[in-house]
Amino acid sequence: MKKVFSIVLAVFLFAGLFCALPAKALTSNNVDLYLFWGDGCPHCAKEKAFLAEILPNYPNAKLNTYEIYHSQVNVNLMQQAAEKLGVDAGGVPFLIIGDEDFVGYADGITDKEIESRIKYCSENSCPDTVGSILKSTNQNTKTKYNEAENKNEAKSDNATAKKLIKLPFIGEVDAMNFSLPILTIFMGAVDGFNPCAMWTLLFLISLLLGLKSRRRMWLLGIAFIVASAFVYFMFMAAWLQLILFLGFIVWVRVVIGLVATAAGGYNLRSYIKEKNDSGCKVTGSEKRQLVFAKMKAIAQQNSLWLALGGIILLAFAVNLVELVCSAGFPAVYTQVLSLSNLTNWQYYGYILLYIFFFMIDDIIIFAIAMITLKATGISTKYGKWSKLIGGILMLILGILLIFKPEWLMFG
Amino acid sequence: MKVLKFGAVWCSGCLVMKPRWAEIETENPWLKNEMHDFDQDKEAVEKYGITDTLPAFIFLDKNGNEFLRLTGEVDKDKLVEIINQNKDR
Repeated sequence: MKKVFSIVLAVFLFAGLFCALPAKALTSNNVDLYLFWGDGCPHCAKEKAFLAEILPNYPNAKLNTYEIYHSQVNVNLMQQAAEKLGVDAGGVPFLIIGDEDFVGYADGITDKEIESRIKYCSENSCPDTVGSILKSTNQNTKTKYNEAENKNEAKSDNATAKKLIKLPFIGEVDAMNFSLPILTIFMGAVDGFNPCAMWTLLFLISLLLGLKSRRRMWLLGIAFIVASAFVYFMFMAAWLQLILFLGFIVWVRVVIGLVATAAGGYNLRSYIKEKNDSGCKVTGSEKRQLVFAKMKAIAQQNSLWLALGGIILLAFAVNLVELVCSAGFPAVYTQVLSLSNLTNWQYYGYILLYIFFFMIDDIIIFAIAMITLKATGISTKYGKWSKLIGGILMLILGILLIFKPEWLMFG
Repeated sequence: MKVLKFGAVWCSGCLVMKPRWAEIETENPWLKNEMHDFDQDKEAVEKYGITDTLPAFIFLDKNGNEFLRLTGEVDKDKLVEIINQNKDR
């Protein structure tokens, strides 16, 4: 009996040893994570925050970070690693775990993939692609990588320290947080003087002034302005989502920067060319006639609800067509917005702020017309000034988007 | 002297000029003038070749001959000066 008990105990211990071995193996494989990131890149910041949150759960995992905006040495390492993996390192964040890479970062998608990869490499041995590159280089190069990283950290700290500015009566203000609202208001207001969609509002006012009911005048006008703002909001929100999705790809930012520079140059050229001209250019006569006829039919509808529905649909149609003419500013603004590390509600809040200042000239013109019962116009000279200011602004933003995107990263 | 004024409801510059002309006409009741809507009055638009910029102001002498054409927003003082200089034409 004693012998049988000894055999059973031995079997259990032996089996236990076998069972324990894989269990130990589950957590014992060292996993090196190599994160290539950019100073100020919001997606990188999100990925870093995510890694900082989960890595304490994996004591076997080690995070190695390499900043690439300020270090050619780190760029070279990233390119070498991408080449070895046979992938295109088109942007940051670029994370390598073993022999698998993760470009970009999206909440709910990339985070799950990364964690699953860490688990996999903890359980199974994964080849250390970047580690083998680092090993093959000499100690000097390794030091260089570290120096580049340390220098960058110091640079980031300095940048953070420089953000605080003292203003009379207001006190200490964080310039980075202060600058985005100012830029939003400024760009929205300058864009507002863009005459692309103004003509439809003036058309509508001329028709509304002929109506007997003041209530109807206000309702139809407000419906038109709100629907126009809504179309603009939808366009900007869709564009922002697209840019946030593609934002990690460097060339998207560069292309938008080039477009902004070209648009800025074009605006400045138009300003210089039309400096001494004023008034409205006579173009698109057929389109205008069509819109005017439809607007007249809608405004004179007996049913208020039909008139309201018609005016909203017309506002949608006209503003969608006019988007081609006025898309430059919102596209560049949303690109700048996407560079800032903000929450979703902050992104949309800023878009709403932009649209409010974009629509403010329309609101003023409409309110004056409804109160005085006289159509008013804003002098075309403001349109010319908006070309000059907008042109300079676009040029500056374009150059910054290409060469110094970190200067446009707020929050 | 007669002034032909071309404008449109969609042109903000035309709306800016409206009160300026209203003041001038009140101050100079002898001044003959005609207002033409660019979208409605196609015959006059074609006759006077309004193709580029609005508002447009065409000054005619006693015989109906054009002697001056201005486009865009014009200062009230400049208009008054032109009218005073040419009131006998």
